[in-house]
Amino acid sequence: MKKLLLSQLKQGIRAEILKVDCGKNFTGRLCDLGLFEGTNVTIVKNDHFGPLILKILNSKIALGRGEAAKIYAKEI
Amino acid sequence: MPKKFKIKVVLVGNPNTGKSTLFNALTGVRQHVGNWPGKTVEKKEGILEYKGRTIKIIDLPGTYSLTAYTEEEAITARFINGTKPNVVVQIIDAQNLERNLFMTVQLIESGAPLILAINMLDLTQKENIQIDTKKLSILLGIPVVPISAKQKKGIENLMQTIVGYFENPPTSFLKLKYGTKIESETKKRYDLVKNLSKEVLSSPTLQGDNTSDKIDKILLNKFLGIPIFLVITWLMFQATFKLSKPLINWIETLFALLAKESFLILDKIGALKWTQSLIVDGIIGGVGGVLVFIPIIGTLFLLIALLEDSGYMARIAYLMDNFMQKLGLHGKAFIPLIIGFGCNVPGIMATRTLATKRDRLLTILINPFISCGARLPVYALFAGAFFSSYQGLIVFSMYLLGIFIAILAGLIFKKILLKTTSSPFVIELPPYRYPALQGILLHAWGKIWLFIKKAGTIILAFSIIIWLMSSLPVGVDYGSNKSLAGKMGEIASPIFEPLGFGNWESSVALLFGLAGKEIIVSTFGTLYGVNIENTQSVSQALKDNFTPLSAYAFMVFVSLYVPCLPTIAIIKRELNSWKWAIFVIFYTTAVAWIMAFIVYQGGSLLGFN
Repeated sequence: MKKLLLSQLKQGIRAEILKVDCGKNFTGRLCDLGLFEGTNVTIVKNDHFGPLILKILNSKIALGRGEAAKIYAKEI
Repeated sequence: MPKKFKIKVVLVGNPNTGKSTLFNALTGVRQHVGNWPGKTVEKKEGILEYKGRTIKIIDLPGTYSLTAYTEEEAITARFINGTKPNVVVQIIDAQNLERNLFMTVQLIESGAPLILAINMLDLTQKENIQIDTKKLSILLGIPVVPISAKQKKGIENLMQTIVGYFENPPTSFLKLKYGTKIESETKKRYDLVKNLSKEVLSSPTLQGDNTSDKIDKILLNKFLGIPIFLVITWLMFQATFKLSKPLINWIETLFALLAKESFLILDKIGALKWTQSLIVDGIIGGVGGVLVFIPIIGTLFLLIALLEDSGYMARIAYLMDNFMQKLGLHGKAFIPLIIGFGCNVPGIMATRTLATKRDRLLTILINPFISCGARLPVYALFAGAFFSSYQGLIVFSMYLLGIFIAILAGLIFKKILLKTTSSPFVIELPPYRYPALQGILLHAWGKIWLFIKKAGTIILAFSIIIWLMSSLPVGVDYGSNKSLAGKMGEIASPIFEPLGFGNWESSVALLFGLAGKEIIVSTFGTLYGVNIENTQSVSQALKDNFTPLSAYAFMVFVSLYVPCLPTIAIIKRELNSWKWAIFVIFYTTAVAWIMAFIVYQGGSLLGFN
């Protein structure tokens, strides 16, 4: 499966996180919310315009595009 | 433990779990809100009696974990580990079970004396999801109590469990069974939580769209989202003004009556003329003029609380993120600005939710331009007197001006002062919920009470000072230009000459407006020696001293100049610096002067005089 950026993934698909390249602090915050290497998320909304909406551990989280572009994931 | 010992209970949980509702249900009015020493984070404590025991409940800030990403999380972690409470109650939102359990696992690992309270089970049941709380309790090895904070169900059960736990604390804690694979600590917790939820949830965790998802398809739609938001904002303001009008009229009548009766009573008991004047003109006139628009501020706060508790506020942050990025901020920074329309003070306090100092500073610097509720009486008075048929439009233009200048200021500050980039945007979009009426009322009441305190103390003090300065030196005509107030105004008035309102009454009004911009109205009333409830006579007096153009310039100045003293005080506190507070005083006044100058001189050139 191709390794893509989270910000490139299509709406509706489920992805496994491969690598999180955000700053140390923010990576920790994402960790607390359940997004880190080896975990799964669902892309709820990605209109390539505003922030993404993800389902992480079954909770809805909005994430800025800039940060989503620093996270590597693959579709599963 | 002897019965007279206070049981110390600590309330923790993710944000949006109904923790505040539970805290209010447990402690009612016996709560005290303060600050953690040296911090700007709120500390809430309350007391309750149960079966002869005194229980002290401390509500810790909502946090996502015990690792310290924000100041609030640092406080939570430190408090639990440092103070060793008797019982820790984690409130869990059934609709977000898995993520909430993430923190549960951390708490158990840290050895905290934990009880789980699962809230909002009724909401998951509506979506046909059952949670086996008994199984969860066995798997985690801790008591699990189902509750509904909003409906006050399960509270008795919770109290009983707390006391029972206190009287018979478990002697050993269950060791959580992690997998044997070699993984990071967080991955182990993650897998554990996933397994736990598989065991206790009745349906697989991946379903199709639930109700909230369906609603979001519309409210967060790429094309409909922002228009819908604008409509909702417009409705909010309409509702505020329409709902509060009858209440305002009621208060006006009440105070007019109070003034009249006091006058008569004081006459009867032969009080000195100056006492009469102090009480009627100074106190009743001044304070009454302010309390008259508590309905507006109150309604606005109520509606804002409605937005927060229903879950829509988070969506607003999402919708506004793109726009805020252009100002060098992100979506979450928009929320304090919305609150600023009610009152700048809670608006600035709301910047605490922003993660970095830079974001907080930038948002606070542009906040004062947002037209707070206190400016509305000034707009209403002048617009009514000079633009009667267009008054709605004129008032609206004032609000737009504030927004426009705030945006401009944001752009400039982004370039000049704060060259760093904005912090990352992440926000939870909680499920949509019907807010508990009691919750919204309590939520809004807190802010209304802050405002009343401001009215009670600062405004009352200033009303008396204004009265004093208008009555001295002894024997002078009340509020004439020979009084202290008048002399002060005459000294200051040349500054405002180029703006079209170089009369001494305006200078005095603007000066006293520092206590709260609503005082500008009552000051004019006092200085023109008219009963402020009789808006006809104030309007007439104004017409003798302003032209429509200078009136508009005056409104522009009022809208933009120094925020009231309470706002300055809160800016100093939140930024922990007098330097920034003083900077705000000067730069807002400079902007106000320049804008009013442009309006007046520009308008004169165009022949609007």
